[in-house]
Amino acid sequence: MARLSLTHLQKVYGDFNAVDDVTIDISDGEFLVLLGPSGCGKTTTLRMVAGFVPPSAGKITIGERDVTVLPPWKRNCGLVFQSYALFPHLTVAENVAFSLEMRKVPHAERAPRVAEALRLVQLSGFDERYPRQLSGGQQQRVALARALAMQPDVLLLDEPLSNLDAKLRQEVRVEIRDLQRKLGLTTIMVTHDQEEALTMADRLVVMEKGKVRQIGNQRELYERPADRFVAGFIGRSAFLDGEATAPGRFRSRGGLDIDVGAAAGTGAATLALRPERISVAAEAGTCVNRFEARVEHVSYLGALLDIDVRLSEHDRMLLQLPNRQGSIEPKPGDTITIGWAEDAGLVYPREP
Amino acid sequence: MSTTAPEAVAGGRTGLAGALVVPATIFVAIGLIGPVAILFRYSLNQFIPGQFMVDGLTIENYVKFFTDTYYLNVLMRTVRVAVVCTIACLIMGFPLAYVLARTESRFKNLLIMAVVLPLFVGNAVRAAGWMTAFGNRGALNASLMGLGLINQPIEIMFTETAVIIGIVAVNLPFMVLTLQSVIEGINRNVEEAAFSLGAGPVTMFRRVLWPLALPGILAGTILTFILAMNAYATPVLLGGPKFQTMGPLVYGQFAQQNNWPFGGAISFILMTATLLLTVAAHLIVQRRYR
Ligand SMILES: Nc1ncnc2c1ncn2[C@@H]1O[C@H](COP(=O)(O)OP(=O)(O)OP(=O)(O)O)[C@@H](O)[C@H]1O
Ligand SMILES: [Mg+2]
Repeated sequence: MARLSLTHLQKVYGDFNAVDDVTIDISDGEFLVLLGPSGCGKTTTLRMVAGFVPPSAGKITIGERDVTVLPPWKRNCGLVFQSYALFPHLTVAENVAFSLEMRKVPHAERAPRVAEALRLVQLSGFDERYPRQLSGGQQQRVALARALAMQPDVLLLDEPLSNLDAKLRQEVRVEIRDLQRKLGLTTIMVTHDQEEALTMADRLVVMEKGKVRQIGNQRELYERPADRFVAGFIGRSAFLDGEATAPGRFRSRGGLDIDVGAAAGTGAATLALRPERISVAAEAGTCVNRFEARVEHVSYLGALLDIDVRLSEHDRMLLQLPNRQGSIEPKPGDTITIGWAEDAGLVYPREP
Repeated sequence: MSTTAPEAVAGGRTGLAGALVVPATIFVAIGLIGPVAILFRYSLNQFIPGQFMVDGLTIENYVKFFTDTYYLNVLMRTVRVAVVCTIACLIMGFPLAYVLARTESRFKNLLIMAVVLPLFVGNAVRAAGWMTAFGNRGALNASLMGLGLINQPIEIMFTETAVIIGIVAVNLPFMVLTLQSVIEGINRNVEEAAFSLGAGPVTMFRRVLWPLALPGILAGTILTFILAMNAYATPVLLGGPKFQTMGPLVYGQFAQQNNWPFGGAISFILMTATLLLTVAAHLIVQRRYR
């Protein structure tokens, strides 16, 4: 258990930057989640920490140790693979004991440590089974127990839950999180499941195209996305293209003038709004920004209604209304009043 | 629903499986067991020079083989050559197979073709090629002498070494292809898991790769061992007339001496020795790793 630092980490394949200047400090016992679209370099980053991919540049330190050029077997990183990667020819107990055997832990000490690891993942009594005799969820937990038994400095999880069904995933998610807290393990988990990331992480790293877009906790990412990509990736956002005309002022392509809280430079920009911050009808009455909008499409999502509205010829956006008993239910073709507070809108310079 | 349904399906499967193995079974029965049975029968016949083969029921052919040190030496030599060749194939073949299995190169298929390429040349032709390479004025001696590394030509031609080199060259592709397909079936992550758990490359190989590749190692060694035990063209061409192994010996009895009963007995001894050694090796390995 130790802190982990990635400093200006880079991985180049040919002329392609798979991981580009990634700097992250993970404190002792922190649960960090790497989140991002497919191919953004999450696995590559994790594998550099584990020692399977040599970085093209940058530094990795675990505690006080610089491990950048250390081979995987000297790093003491517990790794859980998406495919679990259990040793098929060894029993559950032998799998879990593998790291103890490697470290020449005396035989007498091995049994209790294996039993303890299996107890932690609630698999006591499965010692003599072979991996093929276990369900996917059980295999996953053996993989976790095997990583825990080595008492790693850092625990690395690469989409550990993606092979489990939805219900099991929920359970294991909580189990992993509890264990990680209890053992105070410094952990990096990779996922592209946003809900998983948000429920498990102490802090999240949003990556895109090999670069870190933002690091922060759930609230920071949701309420203060650093850029347009994060605003669209974490949760949902309604976007309006236009231009920042003056600090605090934004004009949409369709010519709507909108007051925004945060000062921004001028020039081509995008306004991002969280759908639930947009009020409708009477509730919109007190808002600084108020517009007539024409309903184009309504999707029924159970607890929510997704509503596409058009504000002008060039401006469309998405609203989300809670599906409350007795609340109005707009229909395509209706005209409704929508509005939002000045501080609801975040303006980002347009990305090329 | 009743519980018999799955069984009915399973029953259907067994029937289908039975049907699927019929052609191969017939082929093996007619093409292999038949001749072997006839051979065994011949081996119990008597050979009287001038009279060719006389029906009988005697073990004198076997007695002759096992009481004559010449024949026993031929058997020992054959086994020794086959064991050395098989071990050499395994030691050289494993790394090659591993690289082939794990490479992400675009030229992978080309590499596999390169491994198989020697098989495109018939045994006799290849052995003839070796002859030109190994001879006193062959390419090897010429270049070594040219470089001043030796001043006498090394005697390779017509030695056991030449035969071993020749057989290894023939058998290596079989070993490599067998191992490669098995290694490809081993999840790469399993190796990485071993590394992350603190195993260095040697330990990883011993504790993970080797046991998981064992079925392929067994298949490959059995295949190359059988091929080496029964080699014919290579020992004849590279070993010369004085280097006798079992394959040429059998042929000699049938074709030159016309002694079919003794030839049959030698064949049978060769087959039994191959089988026994294979099974013994199999059992030893299984006992150690299961
Ligand atoms: N060995 C390699 N050679 C060349 N390119 C590679 C190699 N490994 C990964 N890449 C590229 O690097 C990029 C990042 O890959 P990585 O596996 O880290 O993505 P990821 O974020 O884990 O994606 P996913 O969510 O789909 O697992 C991808 O575009 C991938 O094609
Ligand atoms: Mg990945």
